[in-house]
Amino acid sequence: MDGYLGSYATLGITLLAGALVFVGAFSANRVLRPRRPSVSSGKFESYECGLDPVGGDWAQAQIRYYVYAYLYALFAVESVFLFPWAVIFDRPGFGGAAVVEMAIFVAVLALGLLYAWRKRVLRWA
Amino acid sequence: MTTADLLLVALGAVAVGAGVLVVSTRHIVRAGLWLVVNLLAVAGCYLVLAAELVAWVQVLLYVGAVVVLLLFAVMLTRAPIGASDDLDRPRWPGALIGGGAGLGLAALFVSGYRWSRVDLPSPGTATALGEQIFTAWVLPFEVVGVLLLAALIGAIVVSRPDIGSR
Amino acid sequence: MTTDIAAETLKLPSLDYAALAPMLILFGVGCVGVLVEAIAPKKARFPVQLVLAVLGIAASLTAIVLAAGTEKVTAAGAVAVDGPGLFLQGSIAVLGLVALLLISERSLERGGAFVAQAAVTANSEADRDQATRGSGATEVYPLIIFSLGGMMLFAAANDLLTMFVALEVFSLPLYLLCAMARRRRLLSQEAALKYFLLGAFASAFFLFGIALVYGYAGRVDFAGIHAAVLDSPNDIALLYIGLAMVAIGLLFKAALAPFHVWTPDVYQGAPTPVTALMAACTKVAAFGGLLRVLYVAFERSQWDYRPVLGAIAVLTMLVGAVLAVTQTDIKRLLAYSSIANAGYVLVGVLAISKAGLASSLFYLVAYGFSVLAAFGIVTLVRDADGEATHLSRWAGLGRRSPLYATLFTFLLLAFAGIPLTSGFTAKFGVFAAAIEADQTWLVIAGVITSAIIAFPYLRVVVMMWLSEPGESTPAVSLPGALTAAAVTIGAAATLLLGIVPQPLLDMTENAAHFVR
Repeated sequence: MDGYLGSYATLGITLLAGALVFVGAFSANRVLRPRRPSVSSGKFESYECGLDPVGGDWAQAQIRYYVYAYLYALFAVESVFLFPWAVIFDRPGFGGAAVVEMAIFVAVLALGLLYAWRKRVLRWA
Repeated sequence: MTTADLLLVALGAVAVGAGVLVVSTRHIVRAGLWLVVNLLAVAGCYLVLAAELVAWVQVLLYVGAVVVLLLFAVMLTRAPIGASDDLDRPRWPGALIGGGAGLGLAALFVSGYRWSRVDLPSPGTATALGEQIFTAWVLPFEVVGVLLLAALIGAIVVSRPDIGSR
Repeated sequence: MTTDIAAETLKLPSLDYAALAPMLILFGVGCVGVLVEAIAPKKARFPVQLVLAVLGIAASLTAIVLAAGTEKVTAAGAVAVDGPGLFLQGSIAVLGLVALLLISERSLERGGAFVAQAAVTANSEADRDQATRGSGATEVYPLIIFSLGGMMLFAAANDLLTMFVALEVFSLPLYLLCAMARRRRLLSQEAALKYFLLGAFASAFFLFGIALVYGYAGRVDFAGIHAAVLDSPNDIALLYIGLAMVAIGLLFKAALAPFHVWTPDVYQGAPTPVTALMAACTKVAAFGGLLRVLYVAFERSQWDYRPVLGAIAVLTMLVGAVLAVTQTDIKRLLAYSSIANAGYVLVGVLAISKAGLASSLFYLVAYGFSVLAAFGIVTLVRDADGEATHLSRWAGLGRRSPLYATLFTFLLLAFAGIPLTSGFTAKFGVFAAAIEADQTWLVIAGVITSAIIAFPYLRVVVMMWLSEPGESTPAVSLPGALTAAAVTIGAAATLLLGIVPQPLLDMTENAAHFVR
């Protein structure tokens, strides 16, 4: 375990430990808990202030949330490009040009945000 | 078999298994969640293959943003939260075509590369990718910005019923 | 550190701004268009957007003319500026300008062909209300400009990745535009959804193909692939399957059988001016990309792909011609006609020669003008519910409005390839190139299908002239200045390219050399 993969060994071990804790906690729960199967269906109903639940469990979401989700995806893409840019823009050979390139990219996306703002997409109504 | 080989095989198996579950489950929300497993396993493959930045981008963008977008899209529909029967109607033709294409491509790769060995390239760090993106691929990079802008305008125009009044 | 040494020797790519200007101008104008949408008052948007778009395309065209004769690869190998590239870009600009005239027409219908609020539930009260009264969305202008910019980049892209980005840039706005027809909203939304889903599927094929080709060649730029076809140590099967998948993506965009199934539905459901844009400009861009991939990157595999693509060409011509016979809707009829025409262009492409390249370029331009004028006339034949596209409604149109019936007859004859129209010159060109390249079987199939497809065209002609106008024959609306200009330009070009094709033939002949 050395070299490139070795540098990720810590991460791998952490993930493994996390999974073990998770599995351990649930197994312990299963072993230790009392077991009282119920025949009545009441145990499986969600509790609504003493009332029986009414209606279905699935509401159609408003389309406006989709635009928020898309805006999130959009700026996630933008930030992902910022990482490689941030580590190279001050290197010899890049400098102003790389800054301008990123500025154009960010400006184009900011234009989209401006449009969304002007169309009151960002307003929570 | 080195550690890398073992990891790659294991992650690949997870990816394929999760992928099969994505298309075969009857719960549409679970299909989205299995997709998370699939994408994470693929991210693991990238990581093993020394494509560091791409792996983390996969986690950030696909597991983070795209799956959220997908689940929002599911929530827009009237699809029920439980099992639904109309999710997998043409089962056998679909399985045949999908499985056939997958196996065919697998056979192609096996016959194409056999046991040829390829040394891992130097890790695809943010620095390495940054140098590539901001030198050789500047123009496509900027055009991607335009694409995202066009998609945002389009998404707003086709989705908001109150847009025309402003 | 090795990276430091690399950084010192790194050079930023030299961007030849003059050569890239046509695309950069359009992308810039599109962004300004978005800005106008965001800040201009509602009333002012339409005139501002129209003027902006026309000026932008005109500026782009000027840049193309100024760059004429350039032969170089720029932007670090991402873009090739050469004869065919510039010619295709110029065609996209000119045809896009004419389509823009159709798109901007607002006198036929209050607010133009586009709906203001595409998200209103179809057939609801609010939807019926906005169909007759609402003003149209002006976001279509930046979307169209982005799309045209993407098409230009697609025709000039010199590596598969740039090509993929360009493919998405020009497709995505088209998917959206399809969903925005003012009338028959359900058909329009269905068209958009079908186009989007199948388009995404085709893009996935294209992308997978790129991966396989990269696996074979280790490069994605066309010169690199060209070199690797000879001397790559990898299994040639990777290359074949990769090329097949890349080709599927391109054939889908060009609407060639068996990847054409979206075409009739989308052409029918989309707003007619957008259909015109797709039939003219998308076809030019898609064949531009196909030509560059086949001629520049995979020229050395021509003996392998030619029979397969030849079979596709024959199938396309047959499907287009035979199914056109059964159509009862004029937009679907024109859609199948466009499929058949794509087959004829492919015959020219498969000559894999200078003559084949030149004749394909000529065909694309000639067909583009004719189809723009034809769809322009379709927008004019209308009643209170919008366009009357069912063929039975066209019966007796010749008595009601002889001028437009004459024009439409002329355009149909051009599609059929009657001498003295551009259709004849174009078909003659591609068939001659194919015979010269020993592809006689393609020409035989082409001639037979030309005879078949003449039948539906003539049926429309007979219907227009020899039937009595009935109760349901709609009046032809008086076109506004913009539609009149578009139809005139299209019909005049169809006539001129039929009578004096030589200037354009010379131009395509001079342009027909790819830079590698």
